[in-house]
Amino acid sequence: MLKKVTEGPAGYMPQSAPYMGVELAPEGQALLYGNKVSEEEAMRDAAKALLTRDNPTIFPGPQVLWDWKDDVAAKAEALLELASEIPNCKIIPMPDYRPKYPKIDVKAEINPNHPNLTILDNKIKACVFVGVHCHYANLTLRMIRAGTDCYTVALCAYMGHEEAMASIRDLHAEDIHKFKEIVIEERNKLGIEWETTLPPENPSLPKEDLTTLSPADYGEYRSLIMTRKGEHVTEVE
Amino acid sequence: MSPNPEKKLEKTLVDINYLLKEAPREKHFITGAQAMAEAVKRASVDMAIAYPITPQSEVMHLVGDIYAQGHIKEYYRAEEELGTMSAIAGAARAGVRLFTATSGPGLLRGLEAIVSWPGHRVPAVLGILTRVINAPLSIQPDNIEMAYMMHCGAVMLHAENQQDTFDFTLAAFAIAEKVDVYIPVAVATEGFFVTHAKGYVEMTPEDMALTEFDPVAAPVPAMDNETPPARIQRDAPVQKSNFMSYLIHAVWQQEIWDSNKRAMKYIYEYLGGPIEVKNPESDVFLIASGCAAAQAREAWRYAQEAGLSVGLIKVRAIRPFPIDEIRDAVKNAKSIIVPEHNIIGWLCKEVKAAIPNGGIVTEGPRVYGGMTLPVELIMKEIHNSLGLEYDLKL
Amino acid sequence: MSLKYITPAERFKKYLPKDYVELVDYGPFGKTQEEAGPGNMGQFKELVEEHPMCSGCWMAYYIRLIFASLPNPEDTVTLGTAGCGRLAISQAAVPFIYGNYGDQNAMASGLTRAFRLRFPDKTKDVITIAGDGGTMDIGFSMTMHSWIRGEKFTTIMLDNEVYGNTGGQSSGMSPKGAVLKMAPKGKDFGKMPATELARAAGCVYTVRMSPTNIKKAAKIIRRAIFVAREVGPTFIHAYTSCNIEYSIPTHEVFADAKAQEKDRFTFEEYMTDEAKEVIERVEAEEKAARMARKAQKTEAVN
Repeated sequence: MLKKVTEGPAGYMPQSAPYMGVELAPEGQALLYGNKVSEEEAMRDAAKALLTRDNPTIFPGPQVLWDWKDDVAAKAEALLELASEIPNCKIIPMPDYRPKYPKIDVKAEINPNHPNLTILDNKIKACVFVGVHCHYANLTLRMIRAGTDCYTVALCAYMGHEEAMASIRDLHAEDIHKFKEIVIEERNKLGIEWETTLPPENPSLPKEDLTTLSPADYGEYRSLIMTRKGEHVTEVE
Repeated sequence: MSPNPEKKLEKTLVDINYLLKEAPREKHFITGAQAMAEAVKRASVDMAIAYPITPQSEVMHLVGDIYAQGHIKEYYRAEEELGTMSAIAGAARAGVRLFTATSGPGLLRGLEAIVSWPGHRVPAVLGILTRVINAPLSIQPDNIEMAYMMHCGAVMLHAENQQDTFDFTLAAFAIAEKVDVYIPVAVATEGFFVTHAKGYVEMTPEDMALTEFDPVAAPVPAMDNETPPARIQRDAPVQKSNFMSYLIHAVWQQEIWDSNKRAMKYIYEYLGGPIEVKNPESDVFLIASGCAAAQAREAWRYAQEAGLSVGLIKVRAIRPFPIDEIRDAVKNAKSIIVPEHNIIGWLCKEVKAAIPNGGIVTEGPRVYGGMTLPVELIMKEIHNSLGLEYDLKL
Repeated sequence: MSLKYITPAERFKKYLPKDYVELVDYGPFGKTQEEAGPGNMGQFKELVEEHPMCSGCWMAYYIRLIFASLPNPEDTVTLGTAGCGRLAISQAAVPFIYGNYGDQNAMASGLTRAFRLRFPDKTKDVITIAGDGGTMDIGFSMTMHSWIRGEKFTTIMLDNEVYGNTGGQSSGMSPKGAVLKMAPKGKDFGKMPATELARAAGCVYTVRMSPTNIKKAAKIIRRAIFVAREVGPTFIHAYTSCNIEYSIPTHEVFADAKAQEKDRFTFEEYMTDEAKEVIERVEAEEKAARMARKAQKTEAVN
């Protein structure tokens, strides 16, 4: 197969996949390296990548992270089952689309404005995007292809993504189940032993108990929180 | 004016393929302005915003009438075009179907907002009823304003006549809202020559309309407090001076032009393709869009009668520009004539850039400032190209 | 009111970063002002926390206060334009729309109308928060016309009397005589009469203030939002000094804000009878609800 779209790094300012001539797959088909193939063929290649490359990671986006539609629960469940079958798979969410200020916690999340930071820091060599709105998914996938050597899989509820190495369209929970079965099959073929295990929880810091906080805990910013009647705080820095 | 849900009319909602290709049609003799408004009537538009400018006003008057009749849920006259186009952008964030139209100087006044519609993923339909750009003041047709629109990423269709205006406007809504497109679609046609002149239009039934807008099926979240995420960066306040900020802007721009490119398949599906070719084996080709295509069609007919080897290419889509299609269609041509209604010859430049042998392209004939484009001017260029004498009498 | 779009999918909650889990568990969504409002800022997860504003920025404080005062943060959309303000507003966990220069009130007009036709039975609060330049200079026509049309949303002008974000140029709201960039010999005309213009254009509730008192400032913000829901356009003209361009030492920012209460930002509140009715009704309802909760609490204790 001639690979039209491959793992990067594609360079400083690569041409977009659509301008390289890649077209979205029609209904019932998928994209693999920019070529139209059967869904199963794309899933099989994606499964092999996730099983054989370092630090496989699933990046769930807002459409599956937040409980806004009836099908979210089933998809979330299916995604966790899928993650449990990929050895040492991590889940790093993309909870929203705003650029992170002042700095992203690359261990805890990924952001469409600078996705390569999370990929590079965690040395992720194969990943799955799911539930990310198509516009942001395309931006993200292109930046990852530009600046990293990560193999990207797009599981899309709509028409798929030219920039991904493997792109599945019209995704439902059943398709995720099918992908999971293919992962198990390929894993067995490769002779990889693995016991179904849920990925580790988000590594961001443990919770503070905010209920016991008082204005005094705000130190230098206390004056900005509240002043007492007649009080004039001069010491703010 | 307030939304009028009480005026909910009974309509059969159908998909765009049925509406454009299968629905029964009835012939009417109407103006281009009526044709555009009649299309809007059948497009289940949620909201239209108007600001007057000749020659667009007629279209937005009629759209106002169909709002009053209950075909549209919300309509108002805004303060001026920048306000109009900004309000369209604001309403788009709420996830509704939108229409507005403008002309020449109005387009330029609204341009700051309009050119950011693609980046903001605003799937609105914009009617451009062409008019010269001041100064000196004039209200006459001239399509130079389209040159200013060509580089913002919007899809642009150019209608030859009243029938095109109807069909293109309907198709525009469907194209704009595709998840893999989701950028504005402009439907341009010449002011007065089309907007205020009558022609035959085969129209679909009045009680049949396009399926309603789906705010969920979109590549960006509607900002309606119903769609996650709560923290949204649909508008890219990419404000830092660092490589990451440049990169996100760069790939964002790529995404807009990718979306523009993806619209091409729908232009094939709904409109039969971005170009229409007559006599593909000819030596001389007329390539034209909009009203100039109507005049070129007439010249082509004369040429057929005179037994001359002349072909016609009508360009329906200005963006995405049919580079491959035109290159292929004229691969054996000996000369190309590009009649236009503007002084800079934007279509001529596009054609020259699309083909490897730009030297065979004749610059013109061009008229501007509202002048009509006599068929004889085109005939003269045809004769010149074929090395024949032509006695031009106007 | 639906909290679904800010509720994590059950199975994914433990995979979300801390920041988001806290926002869901300790944030102000779906809570009362006593649980999570200006009175206890610092004791709940606020909608805007990290921002790139300058040290001592009074505007940053007021923006934080706006977000803490929202009556319905889960059903609120903010709009803004170029300027310092949007740097902080865009960091909030409330949808923020950024369009072009000074177009916030035109965008809000379209947005508000579209919300009302899509959600006739829901309340969605639309608030434009822009600077003095965005509201009164470049956005003047769009601001005025949104008021003239009677668009039902809230306009908040963060008046720092200067173009802070572009480097300190004189604006229509700069005071007469201020030596600023583009007014090198001192500005030769006075501040635009913003609240007078607002009233002339049909705003049904206008306030000019220097927001030094948290409770009062919060009450004003909420009043403006409640009135906009039912009656018509509302406008808050708030002093949010630029300590950089006006060289106000950081420790004097608050004193300066206090001083302005007696100078260019004397407190002025205007409301139409209709607006007054809404305010009285809503505040009575809020008080009743507060009392009821208190009674319930006492009962539970007993």
